Amino acid sequence: MGKILILNGSPRAPKSNSKRYAEIFMRYSSGEVVYQNITRKNHQELCAALNGYTDLLLVFPLYADALPVGMLQFLKVLEANPPQRKPVISILINCGFLEYEQNKVAMQMMELFCRRNGYRLGARLMLGSGEAILDTPFRFIAVRSIRKLARSVAQGTCQTYCATMPLPKKIFQWAANRYWTNYGKRFGMTKKQMQTPDIES
Amino acid sequence: MKLILSDRPLHFPVLTDDTRYFDLSALKIANCVGCFGCWTKTPGRCVIRDDATRIYPCIAASDTLLYVSRLCYGSYDVLMKTMLERAIPVQQAFIRIHCRETHHEQRAVVPKKATIIVYADTEIEEEERQIFRQLVIRNAYNMNFESFEILFTTESQVNSLAKEIVTQWERF
Repeated sequence: MGKILILNGSPRAPKSNSKRYAEIFMRYSSGEVVYQNITRKNHQELCAALNGYTDLLLVFPLYADALPVGMLQFLKVLEANPPQRKPVISILINCGFLEYEQNKVAMQMMELFCRRNGYRLGARLMLGSGEAILDTPFRFIAVRSIRKLARSVAQGTCQTYCATMPLPKKIFQWAANRYWTNYGKRFGMTKKQMQTPDIES
Repeated sequence: MKLILSDRPLHFPVLTDDTRYFDLSALKIANCVGCFGCWTKTPGRCVIRDDATRIYPCIAASDTLLYVSRLCYGSYDVLMKTMLERAIPVQQAFIRIHCRETHHEQRAVVPKKATIIVYADTEIEEEERQIFRQLVIRNAYNMNFESFEILFTTESQVNSLAKEIVTQWERF
């Protein structure tokens, strides 16, 4: 039975949606699974720990169209400090936009990293509407796709999955904007204030 | 306004008054913490008050820009990527449909002509070039590039290439 390490590369890892996705993954994994956040200070420690695992699942959000910089920093340290036994790397990327395709470039970056550094690429999941989906009636779509990912990791297959909310873009836009308006209200901000064109003024 | 943002020191003879130049390697810029404060608590202002707060207003206001970055796995390397993530205050939380995709609404962000110089120690393989091109196509939607040019080069050629670009700006 394999041993899986999940690393969360979200900048707000303890409060992140990536953490919630990792928790769902753990629920559907049969083997031993360990979860850790990537922080600014634990890169070396995580690289050393990788020797004890057959699989590594990297979970992170799309940031500025690519890997979050914390993930990039970790990969550079991993490149310089590879484990003696390289685990299979599986990947779960989520973006807040409706289109899961917006994660493709980040996935290609991960694939390049794996190829260059001799890691076998495992299962992959690209999630769209990842900021919201778990708190909507479409939660089951995300859960179902993560369950498939967990199965693929366990079986050692290299399946690629993708999922998002099955909504027209206009409806998604309306729902997202309502979500953000309510989010701002918690801090006493009106929609108009949040729409200010001003930057640093 | 014209903007030069580089992850290494560059040397130009003289820059015109409307050109701003930032060497990111000499500045203090922390990682974005993903707090959404710049969208929901202090719209348009990042809660981390470091050097990034001088730069993202210039990103928004520039109509011509030059980014110079080392390449890393088909991405901008850490210094430039850190800055681009910290430029999120130029966007709103709200979603628009742009080029048939969902993207964030922009604040007062001027449309830009972007030139991006990416460099590496050695020859850059085609796969990595292709990934970076795809990245910039995506950036163009989110960073309001009306046009862009990507130049791949080696580290030793970066400064002369950057000078060439800036000389062309001044000619027009």
